[in-house]
Amino acid sequence: MARSSPVQEPVTQAPYRPGGRHRVARVWENSPRRLVPQVLVLTVRILRRWSRDPATLVQSLVMPAGFLIALDIVFGDVIKQVSGQSGLYGQVPLVALVGGMTGAIIGAISVMREREVGLLARFWVVPMHRAGGLLSRMLAEAIRIVVITLVVMGVGMALGFRFHQGVLAAIAWAFMPALFGVALSAAVLTLALFSSSTLVPQATDIVVAVLMFFSIGFVPLDQYPDWLQPFVEHQPVSYTIKAMRGLSLDGPIAEPVLFTVLWSVGIFAVCAVPLAIGYRRASRRG
Amino acid sequence: MTGSLQATRSAVPAAARPRVNPIQQWWVLTVRMIIPTLRNGELATQIIGSMVFTVGYYLPLKEMMGQVQPLSSYAQYLTPLIILQAIWFAAVSAAFRAATDSVQGINRRFRAMPIPAIMPLASRLTASMYRCCIALVVSVGCGHVIGFRFHGSVLHILGFAGLVLLIGATLAVIGDLIGIASQNPEATAPMMLVPQLTLGLASVGLQPVDRFPDWIQGFVRNQPLSQWVYALQALAGDTTDAAPKVTWAVMTPSLIWAIGAGALAVVLHRIVSRRRR
Repeated sequence: MARSSPVQEPVTQAPYRPGGRHRVARVWENSPRRLVPQVLVLTVRILRRWSRDPATLVQSLVMPAGFLIALDIVFGDVIKQVSGQSGLYGQVPLVALVGGMTGAIIGAISVMREREVGLLARFWVVPMHRAGGLLSRMLAEAIRIVVITLVVMGVGMALGFRFHQGVLAAIAWAFMPALFGVALSAAVLTLALFSSSTLVPQATDIVVAVLMFFSIGFVPLDQYPDWLQPFVEHQPVSYTIKAMRGLSLDGPIAEPVLFTVLWSVGIFAVCAVPLAIGYRRASRRG
Repeated sequence: MTGSLQATRSAVPAAARPRVNPIQQWWVLTVRMIIPTLRNGELATQIIGSMVFTVGYYLPLKEMMGQVQPLSSYAQYLTPLIILQAIWFAAVSAAFRAATDSVQGINRRFRAMPIPAIMPLASRLTASMYRCCIALVVSVGCGHVIGFRFHGSVLHILGFAGLVLLIGATLAVIGDLIGIASQNPEATAPMMLVPQLTLGLASVGLQPVDRFPDWIQGFVRNQPLSQWVYALQALAGDTTDAAPKVTWAVMTPSLIWAIGAGALAVVLHRIVSRRRR
């Protein structure tokens, strides 16, 4: 840009510059200085698409609210009877997590559609940072899950949910579902890049159902049969709920947070290489 | 005038309209929907999904809810709801297929071909009934494992299966309608799951109606899922006398919900697909 000649040249003819140096950008396309603004632009693109899609809005805002109210009506009294504390401190995190995890389907299917229509291939041939596409997806997922968490928190507040551990704990609380939710989104996206379109929603629903039904947010741990309790106690959704209960009501914080982080990092570690390969393959199709 | 018309006619290659056999068309289009489910894992996920939902409701809730329900075992009480959830999932994939077909333009292609207008819908519904049958068989099998038994006569068992398939057909039409109307495959699953989860939780399928707060009992008792659960519990019977009886008073509301919702969905479906033309 800065090298343009002061002499006015005809538009039809490219200016002569020896050695083709005019084509060399000052900042290399894979430099981190390119990455940050590009990721922001792409993230805003995804978020803007979601905010204009009624289905995504219903899934993100209406469904969690209705689900939380239904859970509270059905199980509220019973859980209070058997555990002595309000079920909301497990249900609010559970609903936020379920909303975040089912929403991963929307992201995965839209990546598949962008592959079909050739948008990913188009991104591949412009001077863009190679990590930009994937990172913006993950960032958009994180923002979506935080928004869902805040919506669910609002509904929970109306039903009687309160923070007892202060402002800092409340802020940390709002980001806990995103921690595991983004890792699961990466896993769903990996599945989407390597399978047929009909399989992804159903398989994700099954995984979400398993994680939801067999978690301490659905009913208290001692309600499960003995042989199932180890799974219920150590699966990631239970750890996240335990950490969020510690951050809102009371209970241990450090240990469940640590295990949530370990689960998320583990899922990322398993998915990272296939995800990068699959995304690259999808970008170079067609 | 006549001359120019003649010229146009000769310019367009003309042929006799091919003889078509609607039955064969229906069969071809149905097989087109069914064969991929065997290959792409859809059938497997449906079977696994039914199992997951069976144990997912049964194991955590057995202790808590088992004491407050009236029947001989919680499995006997819960299985109708599990079956309804399974056929609802079948309807979700019906909606997904309808939306995919709509987006990919194959419905427009069909309209340009000598196929009766009803045929694509009919074949999609047949494929949905195939999914419903699988859901019914798998979830009754899962129910049998946890302790669900039929105590009524053969006629009642047939009525049970018939009612489940009728509800399945209604849900399939509704799913197809949502798929056609939204034309957005991503949207279908969330839009179908909202009512599934909320109606499923707030129904008499998990716990009796008197366990709910007073202000919502009217809704819980009369909403379609609860009425279907009552009818299915009656048709399945029980060793105790606590199950609802097979009377017209129990059966009529469930039939009205199923047939009424199905008829309304068919009418809306016709309006939507006519507008698309």
